[in-house]
Amino acid sequence: MSEGPNLGSLLAEHWHLARKLRSLEIHFAPERCKGLWQCYEVCPVGCWTPDYDVRCVVFRHGERCIACGACVLQCPERAIELR
Amino acid sequence: MATVFMKWLERRPADYDRGIRLLTLGRLEAMQHLIVEELVEQGMRVLEVGCGTGALTAAMAKAGANVSAIDISPGMLAEASRRIKKEDVEEHVDLQRMDAVMIDELFEPHSFDLIVSSLALSEMSERGRRYLLKSVRKLLTPDGKLAVLDEVRPTSGGSRLLFTLVRAPLQLLTWLLTRTTTHPLTNFEGVLTNSGFDWDLLSTEMAGSLRLYLATPVEQDESDRKPEMFRGRLNGARTLRTVLIDLWASLFRILPPYPQVKPGVYAVGEPGRDSPLLVTGNFELTVRRLVRAIEGELDAWILVVDSGGINVWCAAGGGFLTADKIIGALHISGLSEVLHHHALILPQLCANGVEGWRIREQTGWGVHWGPARAVDIPEYLARGRKKSDAMRWVTFPLRDRLEMTAVTLGFYALLILIPIAIFWRSIFWPTLIAMAALSAFYAVTLPWLPGRDGLAKSLPLALIALVGMLVYSTIWDPASIDVLFARAIGITALSVFIAAELQGMSPLMRGEQANWGWEAVIGGFLGLTYWLVPNLMGWR
Ligand code: SF4
Ligand code: SF4
Repeated sequence: MSEGPNLGSLLAEHWHLARKLRSLEIHFAPERCKGLWQCYEVCPVGCWTPDYDVRCVVFRHGERCIACGACVLQCPERAIELR
Repeated sequence: MATVFMKWLERRPADYDRGIRLLTLGRLEAMQHLIVEELVEQGMRVLEVGCGTGALTAAMAKAGANVSAIDISPGMLAEASRRIKKEDVEEHVDLQRMDAVMIDELFEPHSFDLIVSSLALSEMSERGRRYLLKSVRKLLTPDGKLAVLDEVRPTSGGSRLLFTLVRAPLQLLTWLLTRTTTHPLTNFEGVLTNSGFDWDLLSTEMAGSLRLYLATPVEQDESDRKPEMFRGRLNGARTLRTVLIDLWASLFRILPPYPQVKPGVYAVGEPGRDSPLLVTGNFELTVRRLVRAIEGELDAWILVVDSGGINVWCAAGGGFLTADKIIGALHISGLSEVLHHHALILPQLCANGVEGWRIREQTGWGVHWGPARAVDIPEYLARGRKKSDAMRWVTFPLRDRLEMTAVTLGFYALLILIPIAIFWRSIFWPTLIAMAALSAFYAVTLPWLPGRDGLAKSLPLALIALVGMLVYSTIWDPASIDVLFARAIGITALSVFIAAELQGMSPLMRGEQANWGWEAVIGGFLGLTYWLVPNLMGWR
């Protein structure tokens, strides 16, 4: 079992991943948004607010974002990215 | 809630391979080799159910077969695709992402000479397996064969005991290192016979727990029965068993085995053809909370989907509850033909791993995101599936904070207190009491402690704890300077650890995954101080 999991590499990998997770930010392309409100429906901390007049969401409370990825996954228009 | 738990659960393909190799002590590869040698011929059409990282897929394609391979995990498929490219057999392999129970939808009848599954059947629910075997009968050519390589739980008492004894430590180790675990098949031979197969045992390994079956369908009149969808009625009654299980699961939620409900369709109350259909994972606590929230308020169907016995948020984040699993569960439930409506209500908190639009596209069912908390479901339905912001947002009230503290503490107490009980008896009780008091204090004051994350909050917590310790030492337990110093170091270390680690319990903070690095640095610094200062001051 020469290439079995090795503690050092697992820790390094985890550390890398953890740093990345910490720095993830939402990037929103409003021009793609069709106002389907899926992101608003699923965000557990209320980052998104619908603007019913222009049928486009607003990323109003970015400071609350916990980078869970729900909005990214649910947007059928792929208007949201987390990177 | 903990994202740290979620990420910790995340299964990566490389880990999976390593885990399986560890768990089967490398014997699996030898048996896969046997499949290729004995069963695969040039030009054969092969379907592989659950191809994982594609080792067997590539080997069969190399032996000249045309392989259609499916798997439910996008991560595994990406890895398989890489491997197939590397082995240069792309032309002979067709990879698709889907739940195994969907094969009767996707492939034409009688289109395969050989259907192979390696360690995939044991990942499915028992109902899913029966459904799959039925589909296999349809998809095989008249003299086609089914080869199943899987782990089997021995039936006789002695070998069962041996199996458990040998396997338990191996399983725990594998799980801790790679988050991979398997669920050996029980009575698979009976299921094969019942599903209309003649079977032979081609090979066994690991004291008979790893087996390769070769099965052929026997003539049977195809009275294509509808899947029996209904599993029973659920109620939220409190019994000694549920109280004990809830307690166990609350304290040790982080460690498997997780108490599970069998996947399938259940009724709450007296649902009819127009009653709502709610989807949830199969963690027993989740199901019970859901049932208690709606019992007496409304009649409903509940589709319990296999989430590996993990709560929906963590299961979705870790890839255990996916859109494909829900699609598959819906497919074999037969609910399309039973219900008048086609509306699926998903828990909002699985949105981090379940693509609603994919379910919508592939099943034609309407997908609705229910409220974040089960208790809001009756009101949500009464409003015509509309949520208020309060139903949508996750909060972290005192009750949840205390509960999650207990969960996290249960785990860490084991980790810290057991070594202390063995190596450093004299500080066992002080440590236990300090940990409990600090965690309770932290849970209560969390929203008001300054600092954006747990690490930052550990500073005020440590200061308060130090003041508390000084007051205690002055009034009740005066001590010499060196003892005071030791107490201060200990209480600071515990404060940092607790504040940083318990951050993971909060759904409202993020970034705790990187805390352990800083904890290690601070811990190292404190340890050094603990060792250095008394020496410099001449206390020792
Ligand atoms: S889910 Fe996408 S398209 Fe819909 S409102 Fe949000 S950003 Fe716009
Ligand atoms: S990543 Fe999660 S928390 Fe952040 S905006 Fe999207 S849904 Fe909200």
